[in-house]
Amino acid sequence: MSQPTAPETLGSLTDETSVDPNSTSAKEIAGKSPMQIAAGRLLKDKIAMACAFVILFFVLIAVFAGVISKLFGVSTDTVLASQYLDVLNGGMPKPEYGPPNGGFTMDHPFGIAPRTADDNLAYWLYGARTSLMIAGGATLFASVVGIVVGLLAGFLGGVVDKVLSFFVDTFLTVPFILAALTIAPILNERFNSSDNYPMIQKVSLVAVLAMFGWMGMARLIRGEVLSLREREFVHAARVLGMPTRRILFKELMPNLAAPIIISISLMLPAFVAAEAGLAFLGIGVTDGASWGRTISFAVTYFEQYPLYLWEPLIGVVLLVLSLNLLGDAIRDALDPKTRR
Amino acid sequence: MFAYLVKRLISGALVVTLVSIAIFLLFWFGPSSPAQTICDRETSNRCGDRIEIYEKTLGYNNPVHEEYLKWAKGVFVGRDIQIASTTYECDAPCLGVSYLTKQSVSEELASRLPATISVAVGGAFLYLLFGIPIGVAAARRRGTVADKALVSSFLFLSSIPYYLFALLTWLYLTVLWEAPFVSDTGYFPITENPAKWFGGMFLAWVALGIFGCTQYTRYTRGAMVEALSEDYIRTARAKGLREGTVVYKHGLRAALVPVVTIFGIDFGILLAGTIFTERIFDIDGIGFWSLQAVQQKDLPVVAATALFSAVLLIISNLIVDVIYSVLDPRVRLS
Repeated sequence: MSQPTAPETLGSLTDETSVDPNSTSAKEIAGKSPMQIAAGRLLKDKIAMACAFVILFFVLIAVFAGVISKLFGVSTDTVLASQYLDVLNGGMPKPEYGPPNGGFTMDHPFGIAPRTADDNLAYWLYGARTSLMIAGGATLFASVVGIVVGLLAGFLGGVVDKVLSFFVDTFLTVPFILAALTIAPILNERFNSSDNYPMIQKVSLVAVLAMFGWMGMARLIRGEVLSLREREFVHAARVLGMPTRRILFKELMPNLAAPIIISISLMLPAFVAAEAGLAFLGIGVTDGASWGRTISFAVTYFEQYPLYLWEPLIGVVLLVLSLNLLGDAIRDALDPKTRR
Repeated sequence: MFAYLVKRLISGALVVTLVSIAIFLLFWFGPSSPAQTICDRETSNRCGDRIEIYEKTLGYNNPVHEEYLKWAKGVFVGRDIQIASTTYECDAPCLGVSYLTKQSVSEELASRLPATISVAVGGAFLYLLFGIPIGVAAARRRGTVADKALVSSFLFLSSIPYYLFALLTWLYLTVLWEAPFVSDTGYFPITENPAKWFGGMFLAWVALGIFGCTQYTRYTRGAMVEALSEDYIRTARAKGLREGTVVYKHGLRAALVPVVTIFGIDFGILLAGTIFTERIFDIDGIGFWSLQAVQQKDLPVVAATALFSAVLLIISNLIVDVIYSVLDPRVRLS
């Protein structure tokens, strides 16, 4: 991959119009790296671009959740909940504060929650932040662990490989949800008297997700390194006396970009779904805004107040769906064997 | 083959031991004293100094390795467990006594197994029933509009988180529309009322089956496309075999090998307890039980369910590898 390849062979992979080799303009064809070719393919993929916009939308919401909620004049702090609620009607919001009994109000564009009178829009915005923060953090940690383990196992081989592969296999035999089920409450309880409990809960969730999410990456990287380390350019580097660290980072790493991107594209949607799923089960984020948590509250009120459930549900589905579809398009774009 | 089996069984046993040690340590070095919950419960939240009695009788004052060995011995020969002033008998395989019900955990596990097995068998059956024929049909019509529509709609469906799909199915069909036949989901023993059992399980099966079959369709289609382009398929066609025989006897047989592998592992996962399915459809199986145990801090139950699912996954992995070598003579186990 890293050897210089003649531009002509790369030219046939792209959709550029072929140029007569005898004409003078032929010299202007620049060689493209495989990454550039993939990026070019991706930019032409309409579904992938639509998904990228949706993801960008959610990222902006997550980053500017505070600003946007101020703009709408809503907040996650509810003062004197009972003034908004119709106590005789099972704690449903009073008609003047929006659905399900009233119409749309600008004060609470998404309505307010039954029983707690929390503003749905504010919780939705901060839910996006929670979701992306936890998924992003878990992806980062899982990737670092996966890359390091995969590189070491593949490159060093021998006993190191055996031991690391054993750990990968062992972690794979523990079902993720059960592991999270067991560990998350233990971590939570340790800190539940602490002042910044919500923050610690999120950090521990990231740790649990990363702990059971790195194996796929490690396997993929190990396999790739196993074949790469027998290639001529690695042998050449070793003969030239390059230190192992430089071989790893300068020779191997650039060739691992594709598997790394592919693993990340698989991890992100899985972590977003897992975060919401755990919160739905009542063992993820239990203090603070999370889409999954709102969904689990909303199930009871679904018959009278379906909108309350649909708002966070659409958030999760849209985000996971577009992350998955974009990931799929990226994998296709990176695969030179894809027919188009 | 025999040597391979022995090797795999030994490494499987090693993993199970490691997992059980990890779970044991997790609770041992967990945050609050493991005895706190049961002490609070038995003294109606006036535990105070009495925690020491509980810690002593439950063995939390002894060295951790001694207690682990005691626990491990109990799994094979059973033991007596003393909680405060009461002693509970726990027969082998003893996985402890539930802090909540004071019943033997392994007996309770066995009593919840039929519900989980019902979900798993029905769901897994629908995986194959929907997945394989649709995959074969798509492969035979490769490149047509129908094929493309199917592939992209299944990609769309499988990109949605499963539990939301199941939740919406349940909310609309059972809660909102009260559709006949599925209006009461849950587990009812098959021996008492088979029709009720079927009705209670039906929606869970369908939700699992529709969602899970997308994966099987994808694998079957991929393997089938490959198999149908092989030389022996051309030979079979050339010697005048009927198209059905060519596709199902010559093609599908070769294409099923990778499908069997995924199926074995998926079935193991289903048997280990489908937490979301059981929680959403109110099925009182192992997954639901472990979730309740976590919420009520019933530590022996949490440990037992985690261990149970790890063992199931290891066994299903082993079975899959053996079946794989039987189905595909090119694969040699060593």
